[in-house]
Amino acid sequence: MVLLRVPSRVKAGLFFLGNAMLGTAAAAQAQEPPKPPQIVFNDSGGDMQKAMRDSFYNEFEKRFGIRVVTTSPVDAGKLKAMVESGNIEWTVTEIGPEEAMLAEKEGLLEPLDHKIIDLSDYPKHLQDRKYIMPKGVYTTVMGYSTDAFPAGKGPTSWADFWDVKKFPGPRTLRDSPIDNLEFALLADGVAPDKVYPIDVARAFKKLDEIKPHITVWWKTGAQSAQLLVDKEAVMGSAWNGRYFVAIKNGAPLKIEWNQGMIKESAFVIPKGAKDAYWGQKMLAVITDAKAQGIYANIITYPGLNLKSMEYVKPELQTFMPTHPDNLPKQVWTDAKWWLDNGKDMNERWSKWILAK
Amino acid sequence: MPASAQIAERRQSRMIPVLRGEQGPVMVGLLPVAFLGLLFLLPVLRLFLLSVEGGTLAHFDKAITSDLYLTVFIETFRIAAIVTCCSLLMAYPVAYVLSTASPRWVLIGLVFLMLPFWTSILVRTYAWMILLGRNGVLNQALLGAGVIKQPVALIFNTTGVVIGMVHVLLPYMVFPIYSAMLRVNRDLLLAAEGLGASGWSVFRRIFLPLTMPGVIAGTALVFILSLGFYITPALLGGGKVIMIAVLIEQQVRQFLEWGFAAALSCLLLVIAVLFYVLLNRLGRRETIA
Repeated sequence: MVLLRVPSRVKAGLFFLGNAMLGTAAAAQAQEPPKPPQIVFNDSGGDMQKAMRDSFYNEFEKRFGIRVVTTSPVDAGKLKAMVESGNIEWTVTEIGPEEAMLAEKEGLLEPLDHKIIDLSDYPKHLQDRKYIMPKGVYTTVMGYSTDAFPAGKGPTSWADFWDVKKFPGPRTLRDSPIDNLEFALLADGVAPDKVYPIDVARAFKKLDEIKPHITVWWKTGAQSAQLLVDKEAVMGSAWNGRYFVAIKNGAPLKIEWNQGMIKESAFVIPKGAKDAYWGQKMLAVITDAKAQGIYANIITYPGLNLKSMEYVKPELQTFMPTHPDNLPKQVWTDAKWWLDNGKDMNERWSKWILAK
Repeated sequence: MPASAQIAERRQSRMIPVLRGEQGPVMVGLLPVAFLGLLFLLPVLRLFLLSVEGGTLAHFDKAITSDLYLTVFIETFRIAAIVTCCSLLMAYPVAYVLSTASPRWVLIGLVFLMLPFWTSILVRTYAWMILLGRNGVLNQALLGAGVIKQPVALIFNTTGVVIGMVHVLLPYMVFPIYSAMLRVNRDLLLAAEGLGASGWSVFRRIFLPLTMPGVIAGTALVFILSLGFYITPALLGGGKVIMIAVLIEQQVRQFLEWGFAAALSCLLLVIAVLFYVLLNRLGRRETIA
C-alpha cells in the first residue's frame, strides 16, 4: 500500500544513492563486516530456548564474542511486518515448516550463504536449500499417563487412541488440523504411505468420533504435557521434546513412537536483516555436529547433521525421533501439502470445532 | 483590577507563551487530537485501506458471506453478552456495599477488586485450573461429599471462558456503578421512605434510575472489551470456544492474510462503535428522565 506518492526526481536520487551503497557493499565484501555488539535470535521460548542457550548461543558467543539476545515466540506475521516496514529486529528466527515455505514464497527471506553454512554432512536432499535452513527434526507423538495405563499396556496406535472402550478416559490433541487429519486417517486404517494427499472428508468424519472425548484442544507446547501431568487427560499428542522434559522431571508418562508425525524444524534470516552476515555465521554454528549433539541431549530434538548422533548420550538415543527403532515407525509430514491447503483446512477446522 | 482577574493574569503569565491568550485552549486541545490522530486514527485508516486492498470489497464479501465468520461473530456477541450480564449482576451489589462501607472497608474491597488486574494471565488461568479442573479443589470436594459421581466440566468450555472473563472484567463494571452510587443524594431515599414508599419501590423508582448512567457506562465498557478477548478464551475454553479475535490472529500470524484480517477487524470495530452509540443514546435518555 502506498500512502505517499514519491516524486520521480526523488526516486531517481534514491536510485543513485542505492547504487552507490551497493558499490560500497561490494567493496566491503572482501573483508568481514564489523562485529555488532549483539545479534537477536527469535525462538519458541520455554524449555527449547534454554536448550538453545546451552548449545548454540553459548557456542556462538564463545567463537565470535558477539552477544546473542533472545526473543520469542515464533511469529510469521511479525516477520512479515518487520520486512515490510524495514525495521527488522531479528537477525535469525525459528519458523514453522509450512510458514517457512509461505515466507519464502512471499520473498521475506535472505538467501542462505553456502560459503558460510556448510551442509555437506546433511542428508543429500537437504544440501541445496536456498532460503530455509534445516536444523533438526521433531515429532508429534502420542503419549499416555502410566498411572492410567501401565507401560506396555497403553495405546500403541491411533486406532487405539480412538478406541475409548478399551482405553477409557479424556484425551487431548492440538488445536490445529495439522497432524490431526493424518492421525484420523491412520486411525481409520489408511496405510502410512497413502496418507497424502489427505482425504479431507474421510479425516473429518473419523475426527467426529473422537471429538466428544477431547477435554482440551491444546494451544501451546507447554500445555500438551502439563495436561497429562495434571490428569486432565489420560492420553494425548505432543511434540516429543515436551514429553521428554516432563519425563525427565519425573512425570509418569510414556511416549509411543508408532505413527508419530515427524517434521523438520527450520531457521531463517529475515530479508534485509542488519548483521545478516553474522546471522549466516550463527546458522553455521547451528549446523555444527557437536552443538547439535549437546542440544539433542537437553531436549531430544536431534540435529540433521548426520554426524551429530555421535555426540548424543547412549541412554538418550531411544528418545530421539531419528533412532533406528523409532524412525521407521513414523510418518513424514508433507509440508508442501499443508502450504497448499493449510488456510482452507484451518477454516474447515474452526467450523468443525464450532459444529455441535 | 478585581482579584479574580489578577489571579487569571498570574495564571496566564505562568503558562508557556504559545498557550497564552485566546488561542490557548485551542493549542491545548491540539495536543490530544494530534496524539489520537497519529497513534489511533492513522493506524485505523491504514487498517481500512488494507481491508480494501486491490480496490475490491472481496475481503468483506468473504467475511460476511462465509458461514464460519458469521457463526464466530455471533458466538463472540453471545459470550460478550453473557459476560456483561454476569458482571452486572455481580457488580451492582458489590458497588452498593462499597458505596455504603467505611473508608477502611472501601480500601480493602478495592484492593481485592483490583487483584486480578495485577496478576499475570497465566497465573490466573492456572489458578482457575487448580480450583475448577477435573482434579480441582471443587470437584474433589463435591466427589468426596458424594454430591456428584463424575467430575463436572467447569473449565475448558464456555462456562470456563465466562468465569475467566468476568474475573478480569468485573472492575470495569464496578467502578462506574460505584461512582454513580456515590453521587446519589441519600436524602432522596429517606424522603421517599418518609412518604411511605416500600423498600422495593424506593430502589426501583429512585435508586436504580439515578445509578443507571453508571450501569450503562459499565455495560458499554465490559461488552466492548469482551468482544476483543483473546487469551482467556484460548486457555480456559479448551480450544472449543472460538471468538473472532482468535481467527483474526490466525490470519495475521499464520497465513499472512492481512487484508482479510483487516476486513474482520474493521467489521468488529464498526459493530463496537455502533453498540457504543446505541448505549450512549440510551444513557442520555436515562439522565434526562
